[in-house]
Amino acid sequence: MFIEKIEKIKEQISQDILKIKDNQALFELEKKYLGRKSEFVGFLKNLKNLAPEERKQIGELANKTKLEILNIINGKKADLSKTGSDMEKERIDVTIPGKKRSVGHLNPISIVRRDIEDIFTGMGFEIVDGPEIETEFYNFDALNMPADHPAREMQDTFWLKDKKGEENLAMRSQTSAVQAKYMEKHKPPLRIIVPGKCFRREATDTTHDHTFYQFEALVAGENINVGHLKQVAQDFFSQFFQKEIKVRLRPSYFPFTEPSFEFDITCTVCGGVGCRACKYNKWLELGGAGMVNQSVFEAVGYKRNQYTGFAWGFGLERLAMMKYKIDDVRLFHSGDLRFIRQF
Amino acid sequence: MKYSYNWLKDLSQTKLSPEKVAELLTMHSFEIEGLEKGNNNLGGIVVGEILEIKKHPNADRLHVAKVNIGKEKLQIVCGAPNIVVGQKVPVATVGTILPGNFEIKEAEIRGVKSFGMLCAQDELGIGKDHSGIFILGEKAKAGELAQKYLGINNNDSVLEIKVLPDRAHDILSHVGVARELSILEKKNFSYAFDDLILPKKNSKKLKVEIEDKDLCKRYIGAVMENITIKDSPGWLKDRLEICGLRSINNVVDATNYVMLELGQPLHAFDLEKIKVQNEKCNIVVRRAKNKEEMILLDDREIKLDENNLLITNGDDALALAGIMGGKNSGITENTKTIVLEAASFNAVNIRRTRMALGLNTDSSYRFEKDIDPNLTEKAMVRLLEILEHIADGKIEGIVDIYPKKINSWAVKLDLKYANQLLGEKVPEKELLNILNLLGIRVKKKKLLECAIPTYRLDLRTQEDLIEDIGRIWGYEKIVPRPMIAEVLPAKLNEQVFFERKMQDILIGLGFDEMYNYSFYGADDLKKTGLSDGEHLQLANPMNPDQEFVRAYMVPNILKNVRENLKNFSEICIFEIGKCYMLKNNEPAEERNLILAKVLEKDSNSETFYDLKGVVEDVFEALNVRNAEFLEMEKPIAFMNPGRMAKISLGGNVIGFIGEIKQSVLASYKISKRPVIAKINLEKLGEVAKNLTEYKSINKFPVVSRDISMIVPNGVKYAEIEALVKKTGGELVDSVSLFDRFEAKNSMAIRIEMSAKDRTLESAEIDAMMEKIVFKLEKDLKIEVRK
Repeated sequence: MFIEKIEKIKEQISQDILKIKDNQALFELEKKYLGRKSEFVGFLKNLKNLAPEERKQIGELANKTKLEILNIINGKKADLSKTGSDMEKERIDVTIPGKKRSVGHLNPISIVRRDIEDIFTGMGFEIVDGPEIETEFYNFDALNMPADHPAREMQDTFWLKDKKGEENLAMRSQTSAVQAKYMEKHKPPLRIIVPGKCFRREATDTTHDHTFYQFEALVAGENINVGHLKQVAQDFFSQFFQKEIKVRLRPSYFPFTEPSFEFDITCTVCGGVGCRACKYNKWLELGGAGMVNQSVFEAVGYKRNQYTGFAWGFGLERLAMMKYKIDDVRLFHSGDLRFIRQF
Repeated sequence: MKYSYNWLKDLSQTKLSPEKVAELLTMHSFEIEGLEKGNNNLGGIVVGEILEIKKHPNADRLHVAKVNIGKEKLQIVCGAPNIVVGQKVPVATVGTILPGNFEIKEAEIRGVKSFGMLCAQDELGIGKDHSGIFILGEKAKAGELAQKYLGINNNDSVLEIKVLPDRAHDILSHVGVARELSILEKKNFSYAFDDLILPKKNSKKLKVEIEDKDLCKRYIGAVMENITIKDSPGWLKDRLEICGLRSINNVVDATNYVMLELGQPLHAFDLEKIKVQNEKCNIVVRRAKNKEEMILLDDREIKLDENNLLITNGDDALALAGIMGGKNSGITENTKTIVLEAASFNAVNIRRTRMALGLNTDSSYRFEKDIDPNLTEKAMVRLLEILEHIADGKIEGIVDIYPKKINSWAVKLDLKYANQLLGEKVPEKELLNILNLLGIRVKKKKLLECAIPTYRLDLRTQEDLIEDIGRIWGYEKIVPRPMIAEVLPAKLNEQVFFERKMQDILIGLGFDEMYNYSFYGADDLKKTGLSDGEHLQLANPMNPDQEFVRAYMVPNILKNVRENLKNFSEICIFEIGKCYMLKNNEPAEERNLILAKVLEKDSNSETFYDLKGVVEDVFEALNVRNAEFLEMEKPIAFMNPGRMAKISLGGNVIGFIGEIKQSVLASYKISKRPVIAKINLEKLGEVAKNLTEYKSINKFPVVSRDISMIVPNGVKYAEIEALVKKTGGELVDSVSLFDRFEAKNSMAIRIEMSAKDRTLESAEIDAMMEKIVFKLEKDLKIEVRK
């Protein structure tokens, strides 16, 4: 009977305390529960009439409860002194916009470039870069494209009026130019990626720009084969697009690779079932690839057929366009803040 | 190149549809750039003879025609004004689907029944004419399919193939593609290529001499008499047209036809026009003389030099070898006897000549990618065959000059290597079958000794063979496999990661990233006062605006500012990129950062101090603590000399900051005052590598004292700060400017003082302050407010 009573008091105060809005009310509440004339204190006074056994047990509970009531009241006291007595006066409109520091934005090419670099760094590839102005030798000859090679016409090149001694200079038409330079200084096994600015003298439209970012991968070692190329490409694209991507190789021709491929990936929207984004082709054309031509290895001083390797190159813009659904490649170099600030 | 599907089908005996052919070639051979399907639905269109024409009873402009279509007579309502009784016209019968998915149905037109439609050109999908019904010739018979009188190949499809340079020599021909198709279908090629052998009949009228055997590997000349020049037959015209060539006359068309069939360009001369008087006709292949001139077929007058190869009659140029014939040696309607040429020229020479002269012909397009000299014979045989049929020609005789015969060559193929490179084991039987289909004869020794047919000039190494084996077998059969390699950490590219950090700092400070072209124009040099001498220049720019390779980041970023001011009133932008220059005759590149800032209002050069603060923040974020901003002795051409500073790290200048000159801004039509900063990132990157070293935190209190002062003109803040620090010595931790009123030359600085070993007494502090004030007043004539 005593125990129920104590529990009932406890329950009552925890409800009453919620209604307390100021110090005056709290004072009244304290008087009601712990004042000399309060029910609880009166009840405590009656404890002496109980049997010693019972008195001990209930006494303990009563004391504990008294402390709990005090805690509740003191807690409320602290709350009231913090918020002041009138919370209504303190109320602010939390829906008003925050005061922003202006935050800047990276060009989407930078973002995509980082993604690529990170994925490949994770696979143990070194990031390498080279000059954007190349000699005719490294841009063409070292890649198995001697003067008068018809394949040179596949890449309309910006030539410089100025020369390096007798050698012609060009704005590099591909990042492959870095391949030869790197291999001259390093022996396989090697795994590198070369992201960088390239230039081709092409009329510009929504899908072509004379300045673009290419992304080259080169692996050389013993027993590197076409299956490896497929796997690395598949792993990369699956990570990049955060979904399972398959790679398809079609025959192509590049002087610096043999065999050479065009490689396609399954549509990043429909996953290769066919949709409007891929014009129901199921596949998206991504870039050129191939097994490094042994003549390129020979040109950098490796023994013919000692190593095999693969290389590929594709445009960063194309990946960024797919990822962000950008419909005009010229926007990347437009400098338009209305574009940049979306990323 | 455009290919006729029907032609390919005739040559290869394929049963595949055009779509299947395109798919097969795409996956195993070449890229298909287009597939134009022929319209096969014109079968319902028949020839109708108009028997009777009556006026429509209920419509002034309509007629009711009675038309005989052979098996029946139809009543058809028609609106066209041009029909007359007795004419033959195309009739679309009920059930026919015309182009545009328009189905002909039985209809009632204003109360009169109509059972079909008489068609105009556009309705047939063969032209744009809608002025009247397409009138067929007299020969057409009622009830026949109209198709054969419509002058088009409606049932053919056109495949457009992207031919890459390595296969141009065999694939720029229908035989080449048909052969490829047969290989992919694993069938033997049915075209009797090997049977094309020149008849042994020496010409008595023709002599051929090759002066330069390096530039002309083979020359076959043939004389044909009794030629009748006329129109080509329809089938020949159709095929030329499908492939995008214009029909001229039977002889010229035949040369083009054989070129499309076999890939060998051919030429025909009029013997009467090229022989010298009554002598034998003498063809001499020689280099042009310097400044030798000739007029080409297309009336172009060209001036030559000794790098160009000519076909001559000993004296005069008859043709620019491998590129185009001369005006005065060609076939005319009166030609009776012709000299036919099938030759093989040096690819590089043709290429250089046509580039130098700016010419591009179907012939040069093929020769410049090299052609098998043995193909000349096949092509000549086919040409003679065809001309016998379509021009009534009689072979007088042939001359074949072939100084150095090209024979099959051997390539050794290591099967193990082939499988290893492809990453998949191609079953040996299949592999050998592929080689066989490719026309390669194989001797099996330790390695496979492969004898390459001369029509595959591109097969030179075993990798070339592996490529063909792989693609014909099917790249889709190669399974992706993880690489097995040593686990080695990738070497970190410090510059890349430094630049990333820079980008992150800058976007944190509110700057947006620009990417600009590496070019600008002469106009930019003029506007910024830069000289062309310090710039690399493009030999073949896209346009004059992009003629110079940038040596400065400023012109392009100013254009970014101008364009963005159209939409924004405040701008904070940056770009990281290269500048290019020639240093000691070597191309040099420099990675730079450029920042530009525009504030909405700039009354007191706030923008300068704002951007300077940004640069200081960048340095702090990079833990670069020794930056100084110093006046420049030699200002930069496009900068406002009174508002710029060089940025120096420990005496090493790494960039500059300042306002752009007003006149430059005006020339770019920028009305606000942008401030820019340029920093060499390679130099900064070197310094920023230094690690922070922790200094213990002072245990004793730091006190601060402020001094408010009037500063005489000419005294710089840096001098004040330096003097305070020098005077205060170790006790002064820092000096900062916390207030400034420019108009009254007033400044207020805060000095923080502490000692490392004790709490400073106020007497000690006061004494120090007095000393500092005294020095300021004495050395810099500053008036300190007390």
